[in-house]
Amino acid sequence: MEQLVAAILTMVAGVLVCAAYFWGTNLILDRIFPSKGKFGAVASRNLRIANSIRPWLFLAPALLALTLYLVYPVAQSVWLSLHDRGGQNFVGISNYQWMVNDGEFRQSIFNNFLWLLVVPALSTFFGLIIAALTDRIWWGNIAKTLIFMPMAISFVGAAVIWKFIYDYRAAGTEQIGLLNAIVVAFGGEPQAWITLPFWNNFFLMAILVWIQTGFAMVILSAALRGIPEETIEAAVIDGANGWQIFFKIMVPQIWGTIAVVWTTITILVLKVFDIVLAMTNGQWQSQVLANLMFDWMFRGGGDFGRGASIAVVIMVLVIPIMIWNIRNAAKEAGGR
Amino acid sequence: MNPSTRSPLMCAVHLSVLLLVLLWTMPTAGLLISSLRDKDQLAVSGWWTALATSSRNAVARAPSPESQVERDGKFVISGNVLEGQGGQISAFGFSSREPAKFKPGETAELNDGERLTVQADGSFEIVSDQRMEGSRGQRIFFTASTPPRFTLDNYAEVLSAAGIGRSFLNSLTVAVPSTVIPILIAAFAAYALAWMPFPGRALLLAVVVGLLVVPLQMSLIPLLQLYNGVGAFFGVPAKTYMGIWLAHTGFGLPLAIYLLRNYMAGLPREIMESARVDGASDFEIFVKIVLPLSFPALASFAIFQFLWTWNDLLVALVFLGAGDDELVLTGRLVNLLGSRGGNWEILTASAFITIIVPLIVFFALQRYLVRGLLAGSVKGG
Amino acid sequence: MKRSLLWGAAALALLAGSAGAADLKFKPGEDSKFNWASFEEFKKGHDLKGQTLTIFGPWRGEDEALFKSVYAYFAEATGVEVKYSSSENYEQQIVIDTQAGSPPDVAILPQPGLIADLAAKGLLTPLGDETKQWLLDNYAAGQSWVDLSTYNGKDGQPALYAFPYKIDVKSLVWYVPENFEDAGYEVPKTMEELKALTEQIAEDGEKPWCIGLGSGGATGWPATDWVEDLMLRTQPADVYDKWVKNEIPFTDPAITAALDEFGWFARNDKFVDGGAAAVASTDFRDSPKGLFASPPKCYLHHQASFIPSFFPEGTVVGEDADFFYMPPYESKKELGNPVLGAGTLAMITKDTPAARAFIEFLKTPIAHEVWMAQTSFLTPYKSVNVDVYGNPPLKKQGEILLSATTFRFDGSDLMPGKIGAGAFWTGMVDFVGGKSSADVAAGVQKAWDAIK
Repeated sequence: MEQLVAAILTMVAGVLVCAAYFWGTNLILDRIFPSKGKFGAVASRNLRIANSIRPWLFLAPALLALTLYLVYPVAQSVWLSLHDRGGQNFVGISNYQWMVNDGEFRQSIFNNFLWLLVVPALSTFFGLIIAALTDRIWWGNIAKTLIFMPMAISFVGAAVIWKFIYDYRAAGTEQIGLLNAIVVAFGGEPQAWITLPFWNNFFLMAILVWIQTGFAMVILSAALRGIPEETIEAAVIDGANGWQIFFKIMVPQIWGTIAVVWTTITILVLKVFDIVLAMTNGQWQSQVLANLMFDWMFRGGGDFGRGASIAVVIMVLVIPIMIWNIRNAAKEAGGR
Repeated sequence: MNPSTRSPLMCAVHLSVLLLVLLWTMPTAGLLISSLRDKDQLAVSGWWTALATSSRNAVARAPSPESQVERDGKFVISGNVLEGQGGQISAFGFSSREPAKFKPGETAELNDGERLTVQADGSFEIVSDQRMEGSRGQRIFFTASTPPRFTLDNYAEVLSAAGIGRSFLNSLTVAVPSTVIPILIAAFAAYALAWMPFPGRALLLAVVVGLLVVPLQMSLIPLLQLYNGVGAFFGVPAKTYMGIWLAHTGFGLPLAIYLLRNYMAGLPREIMESARVDGASDFEIFVKIVLPLSFPALASFAIFQFLWTWNDLLVALVFLGAGDDELVLTGRLVNLLGSRGGNWEILTASAFITIIVPLIVFFALQRYLVRGLLAGSVKGG
Repeated sequence: MKRSLLWGAAALALLAGSAGAADLKFKPGEDSKFNWASFEEFKKGHDLKGQTLTIFGPWRGEDEALFKSVYAYFAEATGVEVKYSSSENYEQQIVIDTQAGSPPDVAILPQPGLIADLAAKGLLTPLGDETKQWLLDNYAAGQSWVDLSTYNGKDGQPALYAFPYKIDVKSLVWYVPENFEDAGYEVPKTMEELKALTEQIAEDGEKPWCIGLGSGGATGWPATDWVEDLMLRTQPADVYDKWVKNEIPFTDPAITAALDEFGWFARNDKFVDGGAAAVASTDFRDSPKGLFASPPKCYLHHQASFIPSFFPEGTVVGEDADFFYMPPYESKKELGNPVLGAGTLAMITKDTPAARAFIEFLKTPIAHEVWMAQTSFLTPYKSVNVDVYGNPPLKKQGEILLSATTFRFDGSDLMPGKIGAGAFWTGMVDFVGGKSSADVAAGVQKAWDAIK
């Protein structure tokens, strides 16, 4: 109990320190370059200087944390990827050469591509539909909570849950996996779903879609609620029906948020690892990049060079998404 | 409230939401039901059969010959194969080769001159002319239809595990500050990226997006090395709560900044313009207008960050340690599974125990996501 | 005389330290089966009050409680505060912790391949020649244990880096004696008889074997045990040793023959419960449950000594379920009685007096007997009292271990992690899925070449 009190105190202290930092630096900035009460050139000069410094004050803590916790490890990875398994001897690009020729790596790239196509699209689609539909019914919040629930389950738990769905027993014995039970009930042959090459990818994807729809739904639902009611009311008065309101008025207004959800899930898919590790560990041709990296990094003492080079590939794959986001941000800025 | 509430379209809406909800809750429902079932049944029949009266084949063992009583010159062992669980016997046998050879009420001649009778209610008698020998009781195979049976044993087993209360507190200690600290830092950064023009803004945003993808596993070793260095330099332990809070903050920041920036960028420009005309500074605009308006986004991020830190295992193990005093709830539950992996009955129950706190958080914050708050303040602004 | 003197000392010490002794599972001096003298002697030689010892091991849940009952004696004797930790992903965690410079004092791991890696990176402390000699003198088949514990250090020089403690016997076939009785089957004495029994059960219209390879991320490993057991029964031990070091390629006929021998059992729909298709996807924890079904789904199950934890509740090993030694071939008598095993090895990851003392503690009979007296612990230590074994099955396993003419450690644990805990597992999954033994072997060899 003591530690929890200590944690809460630290938290309050942390929040206060943060607040004090923002408030204090802002105050100091205004003192050094006062613009209120001054006139003419001095005021506008001070205002300009203060305004060029202030963003960096706002950003400083975040940038510090990002640099320490993310940029530094990235640099470290790039460095490691050029070294051997112990990270001591420089080996040039031989890790990358090995990678290109590795069948498992190519398999992973292909699978990751499938994941990227399917999971973000389905999660966002379901999330949007559910967010929109539940907004208009009285038990919407209950429905949302139920659909959100998978988000609250750890990956270990999710793996168990889906085992009860994909489990396979031989034909003729009682199936304890729901999917096979349904198949058998309709007269089909039971299948060991997660061992079917290629198709097993989709069975694993279903799990992530199941989890991430809740995420998409919550974010999109907040965005939908941000739409000013006037625009919808105006459309209703104009005689628009539900579909028209949804697709012509609501969706365009939250387009930015949809893009954000899509991007976030896409990036999450690039990192997907727990599900694959728990369900198949990349066997039966279901390997993905993040799990492959984890494998090389830590299994049997680890090969940091190869693990890091796969990590670098994962990070490189995100570049198109980055460019797209830069363009979007630039467009927004230009539109204003 | 809505003019179209009773239209057929609304019916379709209700129906499709119902369908989606069913689809989404089905797996979890399976988990819940499974967690309440007996551990041996779990592995042999589907969870959806749990509610139905099921027919099952089972083996019971009669009490050992030590418990025999002498009655009318005969030696008798008696008992009930159903052990008070209720149900009906439809067949029985004494050999694994013919487990359903006899109907209830019939008498089976055992190999050694003993006679076995099992009644439909499960009670049985083994009668012999001589005193029975041996240390193990006779096996009795039977087919029984049994009513559904539920048990809280799995939960009792998980909750009674030593140290679980401690781990619960540890998890809270980790998760709460790790949720609150990044929000504040991210909110300021997000505002700067959304509303304060400065050179390189788009590039910085792109970098943040790029950092979203950094695989966590990648950063563990460099960071732990750094922690060890810092710890050695200041003479403090390397694995502390402070360390893990900062680590979660660092790992959570890109998503927080990204989500908040996009939300803030979507706020109506007019409000800020008018405030600026009134002479408000960026700091005031942020604190008095943007922060309250962004509440839904802050709340959603808080939910995600809390879930992620609560369910996290890897970061906690690496930065906090796996000792008895430091173990978080997820770590404790995984340890419960035994050294060779998963016992489903424990997994199912423990998954439900871990889910409770995040759901409470979700319910608590969900109230802030309601329409009135946002719409009202937008109009008021 | 000397003995009674020691007893007197023991009684005295007991009086002195009775407060702490309350937590000990067996009271020192009470049960004469235990070697309490070794405990008292150790206690006299080590006073490390105020120090702490962190141990990182693979044991969780029930096993953790058992190990705790052992190190309680170490704590009692030395005054050291012991902090034990473990984790589901201990393999990754130990790599992270040692690499980042915050290792535990003592690490206990079951994978020699991983230990070799840690040793090569210079993260382990050599245990010295004295310990080496001790193993030679005191462990049955001492040389094979020394070989197992010797690794190349950072300088490339071989040295003793690990101390074997706690062994599992893997060459066991589990069955239900009463089912054998009902059907009139006999426990086979030779591999030929085992195969004949398999065919006979299949002819009777039943399924002989339950085989499950499923193990989440580690799916496939039970099959590697099969192959290793069959390797030891078809090839001399030195072929086995060359195989695990890849001195003969995986594609060698000796190895593909062992694969095919496993295939004879596992790839025949008539021989396995659920048919060959179920083998790869059935969880290894669920598969033994078929032995106890009504009617039985299978009659035989090949698995290591730990498996009773996954039997239905209330199963008494030795009565409701029993095991026999996986027999050797009649036609290959010259290979003797090979035993496949696995075990855990303790090593010093941070050189402290307490860590050194702990290794010394593992050399005392009492450190073995306390665990033996409970459950799931076997030891090759010759000076322990075998009467201490907690139950008859454990004693029987101990006898299998002692009567072994050849003892070999689980080959997949000896291979480099990428193979033994990767390509070999995956290969076996493909093999039961229908891939030919030659293709599987070629695939594993290719993966092995890639890490050389």
